[in-house]
Amino acid sequence: MTAPAYRTAERRARGARPPLPRLRSVLAEQVRATGHALRGPALIAAALLALVTLFAASQVLSRGVDLTLNAWPTQLPGLMGALLPIAVWARDERFGPAFLWTLPVDRRRHALTKALAGWVWLMAGVALFVLWLLAVTSASGGRALPPETLHVVTSQVAAAGPLDPAALRTVRWAPGPLIWAVPFTAATATYLLGSALVLGSRHPLRWVIGTVLSYVLSSIASEAASAQLRAGWLDDAPGRLLRLLVDSRYGLDALLTARIESLSNPAALTTGESTIVWWGVPDLADWRTATLLWTGAGLLALWAAASRHRERRRA
Amino acid sequence: MLVTLDPRDERPLYLQIVDQVRRALLVGTLRAEDPLPSVRELAGQLVVNPRTVSQAYRELEGEGVIYVRRGQGTFVAPTIHPDRRERRALVRGVAERALVDARRNGLGVEELVTMICEVAAEDEGEGSPSASAVRPGEEEGAA
Amino acid sequence: MTHTDPRAGDYVVATHGLSKRYGRESALEHVDLRVPDGAVYVLVGVNGAGKSTLFKVLMNLERPDAGTAEVFGLDTGRAGPEVRAQVGYVPERQDAPYRSMTCARLLRHAAAFYPEWDHAYADHLTRALGVRPQRRVGGLSKGETRRLQLVLALAYRPPLLLLDEPTDGLDPVVRRRALALLAEHLADAPTTVLISTHHIHEMESLADHVGVLREGRLVAQMPRDELQRTVRSYRLEVPDAWAAPRELQPTGLRRSSAGRDVQCTLVGEEREVARRLAATGARVRQVSTLALEDAALAFLPEDPS
Repeated sequence: MTAPAYRTAERRARGARPPLPRLRSVLAEQVRATGHALRGPALIAAALLALVTLFAASQVLSRGVDLTLNAWPTQLPGLMGALLPIAVWARDERFGPAFLWTLPVDRRRHALTKALAGWVWLMAGVALFVLWLLAVTSASGGRALPPETLHVVTSQVAAAGPLDPAALRTVRWAPGPLIWAVPFTAATATYLLGSALVLGSRHPLRWVIGTVLSYVLSSIASEAASAQLRAGWLDDAPGRLLRLLVDSRYGLDALLTARIESLSNPAALTTGESTIVWWGVPDLADWRTATLLWTGAGLLALWAAASRHRERRRA
Repeated sequence: MLVTLDPRDERPLYLQIVDQVRRALLVGTLRAEDPLPSVRELAGQLVVNPRTVSQAYRELEGEGVIYVRRGQGTFVAPTIHPDRRERRALVRGVAERALVDARRNGLGVEELVTMICEVAAEDEGEGSPSASAVRPGEEEGAA
Repeated sequence: MTHTDPRAGDYVVATHGLSKRYGRESALEHVDLRVPDGAVYVLVGVNGAGKSTLFKVLMNLERPDAGTAEVFGLDTGRAGPEVRAQVGYVPERQDAPYRSMTCARLLRHAAAFYPEWDHAYADHLTRALGVRPQRRVGGLSKGETRRLQLVLALAYRPPLLLLDEPTDGLDPVVRRRALALLAEHLADAPTTVLISTHHIHEMESLADHVGVLREGRLVAQMPRDELQRTVRSYRLEVPDAWAAPRELQPTGLRRSSAGRDVQCTLVGEEREVARRLAATGARVRQVSTLALEDAALAFLPEDPS
């Protein structure tokens, strides 16, 4: 008999029950196991980054431009966050008698622990991404997120057509230090929502396709309806709803890019040049609120999704 | 020591083990101070619940047939020699089983006893292998 | 014919009126399972009889429609994690998780959840069962997955083992070795085992309690000695137009062409059976004990349809 066997036998003889695992060791092991599961996607991401680096290097060397980071390409961390749950929960069965649920951990807590483990790796990935961006930027001689001069539109102008330079005013805008947090918060929020979807539904892909389809169908329907019923408000109602979700003050874009994306547009001036024109000054307060809202929604959704797997307690 | 279990034997498993140990002692394959397999080993060999083996060993220990040497295992008692009591117990077991069998087949006691003697006489006369090769009690002077 | 002891406190596993339906089919119906401490309880039944459902309820992977289940006195629905910390479970299905991990890595993963995991013993079991530690879990054959699941269940010496068809998918040589390993395992620490199986004959010597599940109902539950004592095969001489008394649960009835010689399996204490048979005019010519498998089969439907 091995020494642990002897100790176990002794303990059992005394009537002591086998102990539950400590949350610390469960979390640590989940982080390790999730890391193991993410090796594949990580390699792919690394390969892609290498390719992009080569491309950027060739551009810099051939054309001598320097790459300045004006704004985070945060759609990428956002996308990373949204897609990571698929890799985290990939082959793990969430529904039915899966190995995961036979372990001596409360099931809802276990689901959340696993999601948390994935988030740890997500933050590591985003950090590496940020570092890579900075490295590429500085290697090319550019600067990262420097203060900028923005051309802001002062008054209501027609959306189409070249703009009169006089209608623009210049604003000096320096993104505060909080801007460095944007990729992390964006990825976190999308990760929470993605995890909620993957954890909470048996066929998350069907939900995604279903949503896209229903958007398309409802757009067609609302257009037809508004034409038939001459109800102008119906026209493009789904589209407006979508824009509300994305472009509004606390919408998705606020979360992802502090509205830098939606507020800026390239436009042609009457003088013949074309420049980036801003419809408002991005305000990090908007981003803060948006982050709180979306992250809060994500946490709630994840909690609800995890609760779907909770231990059934009888009344 | 070789123990085999008969799945169709109606006796409890532990009793089968006890009887086989006793028999081995009588026949001479087991002698005083011989080691017995550990509970774990025997359970693995026979694919039985170790509790059954423990029960058998406890019974044997209670009768003084075997003893446990601390740290070394289980051994046949040094003072054991197949004595009349053991023999009697074994014979009794066989007789009981035969009687039950007879009763089931609707046979009477006298019929059975007569037939046993007849068959025994036939065997001895022919020297057939139905008489066991080692005659119990002949090896050591039955004490 | 169930002999349930109402003192549920002495039992490691006790279910009370457990029922579970899947749509129209009832997988379990008012099951009162009782597994005594230290027993090797073999649960027998045809496919779909509800054995796996019972295990899943005990592990709180399924919620029953009625009734309760207790393991070590803990309600399986309320104290799921505590129950599972004391149970080693081999599921009926054979998908192992984390297919890209090696077997060794998967074992280390499981070890994090069971503080009493014995790494040396896990190595011993791995070798004894012929599991190759460096193979990827996803690339294992059915039998090897099964053996890995056995290691996963045994390595932390849980006081209760729930084994759902543990030898399923294993070839005959490995089966015997696995069962011998199980018998040895039981010697190390007090362990209770609940096994469900189709192959009763290989559990013949290991079992000390038998339960028969038929269409979701527990039709028999008793120690093996009692089963062998009360289910026997009778050779009878019967009068013409004789029918076996229903209360003796006759099965396996065979008649000679003349109709006067009958062999069948009957349930009941021998003397009582003989008495009842005499009352119907039958004479007992011979009684033989049955192996455990045949005895248990007496409670199962004869017609497979």
